[in-house]
Amino acid sequence: MMDHSVVVGFRRIMDRAGWLALALLGAMVFMPFLTSDPLAYSIGTQILIGASGALGVYVMLRMELLNFAIPGFMAVGGYAAAISASHGVTDIFALAAISFMLPGLLSIPVGAIVLRLKGVYFVLITYIFTEIVQLVLIETPSVTGGTDGLIGFPVLQAFGVQLTAYSSTFYVSLTLAALAFLVAIVTTRIFRQQFSSIAQNDVLAESFGLTLWRYKTIGFFVSSGVAGLAGFSLVNMLLIAHPLSFTATSAVNYIAYAFIGGTGYLLGPLLGSALLVSVTNALSFSGEYSEGFFGIVIMIAVLVARGGLAGALANLWGKLGPRRFRQDYPRPASKVSVKGAQ
Amino acid sequence: MSTTEITSDSSDKPLLEVHQLAKAFGNLNVFDNLSFQMGPREVLGVIGPNGAGKTTLINVLSGQLAASSGTVLLDRDPISRLPFHARARKGMIRSFQHTNIFSEESVSENLSRAKRFSSSTHTDEDGARSLLDSFGLSDKLDHPAVDLPYGLQKMLGLVMVYITGPRVLLLDEPAAGLESRERILVDQFVETALDRLSCGILIVEHDMDMVRRLCPRLIVLDDGQILAEGDTADVLRRREVIEAYLGVTEEKTDAEG
Repeated sequence: MMDHSVVVGFRRIMDRAGWLALALLGAMVFMPFLTSDPLAYSIGTQILIGASGALGVYVMLRMELLNFAIPGFMAVGGYAAAISASHGVTDIFALAAISFMLPGLLSIPVGAIVLRLKGVYFVLITYIFTEIVQLVLIETPSVTGGTDGLIGFPVLQAFGVQLTAYSSTFYVSLTLAALAFLVAIVTTRIFRQQFSSIAQNDVLAESFGLTLWRYKTIGFFVSSGVAGLAGFSLVNMLLIAHPLSFTATSAVNYIAYAFIGGTGYLLGPLLGSALLVSVTNALSFSGEYSEGFFGIVIMIAVLVARGGLAGALANLWGKLGPRRFRQDYPRPASKVSVKGAQ
Repeated sequence: MSTTEITSDSSDKPLLEVHQLAKAFGNLNVFDNLSFQMGPREVLGVIGPNGAGKTTLINVLSGQLAASSGTVLLDRDPISRLPFHARARKGMIRSFQHTNIFSEESVSENLSRAKRFSSSTHTDEDGARSLLDSFGLSDKLDHPAVDLPYGLQKMLGLVMVYITGPRVLLLDEPAAGLESRERILVDQFVETALDRLSCGILIVEHDMDMVRRLCPRLIVLDDGQILAEGDTADVLRRREVIEAYLGVTEEKTDAEG
C-alpha cells in the first residue's frame, strides 16, 4: 500500500535525534499554556529563529564547511516574505514556500562560485556574500526601502484563519522552525554518507565516482532555504525587514549556537540557541556584562565540551541511560550486503 | 603465479590507449609526449626515480588533474575531457598511497560508500568477500577503520577500489609502507582483480620484487619521458635503465620504507 511504504520510508529516514528534535519543538506548542508572560513568548520566538539560523550552519558543517552566508540568505527570505506580503500574500505556507525557495534558488548560482572553496576561503567568501547582500539591500531603496527597510508586516493566515491571537507570532516561528528541522533532518539523513565523506575525505569520495558539486549544492540549497525561513520568522517578529537584522557579523551568533549546542548533533542548534538566547536575555539587565559572559560560555564549550551541549547530554545518556538506548551515538555500522561474509 | 596466462590475451584490443599525453605546471614539464596501451587482463608496471612523473601520470589518467594535451581512450571511448568522478564511473579507478579510507567509519560502512558512490552496475561482492576473507577483514566489519593496523587499512582501501568493479585500475604504490609479509596480499589482490574483473591494472611501484612478480610488461619513466618499455625482464637488463634507476634502487626503497 502506498501509505504504508511512505510510513516505512519516513521511519527509515528519521533517526532518534531527528525524533527528539521534533519532539522538543512539539513540546513548545504547550508553552503558552504555561505562561502568559510576554517576555517568555519573545524569548521563545527568538530561540526558534536562532535555532533555524543555526540549523543552516549545521547542515553545511556536515560537509565541514563553516557558512557565514546565513544572514545573507535570511535577508533574501525575509525580504521576499515582506515584499510578497505587501502584495497581498498572507498565507503562512505560501510565504514559507517563497522564503525557502527564493534563497534556495539563489544559492545555486552563488554555490557554483563559493562551493569551489573550502576551509578559511569558504568562510571568507560566504562572509563577503553576506556583506554584498547588505550593500544591495541598502543601495536598492525602490525595492528594499534602503536604510529605512520595509516597515510593517500584515496579519498572517493559516488554512484561511486570520492569526490575530496574541501568541500567533510565536506559533508562526514554531511552524517555520518545525518545517526547517524537518527539511534538514530528511536531507542530512538521506545524504549522510555523501555529506560525511565530503567532510572526511572528499578526494577519496570523488575517486569512487561521487559528484561532489552536486551534493554540496544540495546541502547549500537546504542550508540557504532554512536560513530563508529563519529570515521570514525574524521579519514577522520584528514587523520590519531591515538591513541591520542581517549583518555579516550576526553570522557569528548562529555559528555560536551551532557550536555550543554541538556540531555533531541535530539537536545542537536548538539547544545552543535555547541556552544562549536565554542567557543573553537574562543578562541583558546588566548591560555590557552579558557579552562577556557570552564569550566565557563559548570558551568553556570549545575547551571542555567539544561535542557541545548535545554531546555532553549524549555522553551522560550513554553512561546513565537505559541499556538498550545506550548505543545511540557510536557510529552505526551500516547494513552493507558484504556483511554476510564470514 | 603464472605470468604467461596473463599476457596471453592482452594483445586483443587495447582497453586503455594513451596518446601523446603531456602535463605541465606552468613552465615545468612533468611529462611530455607519453604514448602507451594496455589490454584487458594486463598488468603494466611503471617505475622510475622520484620526480619522474609517475604519480602525476596516475593523477592525469584518473582525471584528478587535467592533462595539458593528449588523449586518453577507455574502450576506444575518449575520456580525456571527463572530470575525475565521471572517469571513475566509467570504470577508471585509482588507489591512493596513503589516505585511502574513511578512517572514522566502520569497515562495512567504508565498503558501502565505495559501492554507492561508484553507482557501478558491475560490482563484484563475491570477489570482495573473498578478498576480505584472505586479508582477515571479514570478522572486523564493524570495527572503526582507524583502529585497524596500517597494513589492513591499506588493504581495506584496495577492497573498496575492487568492489566498484573497475575496468582499469591505477594503483599508486600499493606496497608502500607495508611489511614484507603483507606485500603478498597485494599480489593476491591483483590476481583476484585479473581473474574476476578482467580489468587492466597499471601499477606504480618501487618494490622491484613485486614489479617482477606482477608485471609482465614495464614502462620506465625518467624525467617525464619513457626511457624504456617492453618485457619486464628485458627492460630491467638495459644499461640506461640500470643507470637511471636500478643502480640506486636499494637506497631508494630503504629510504622510503
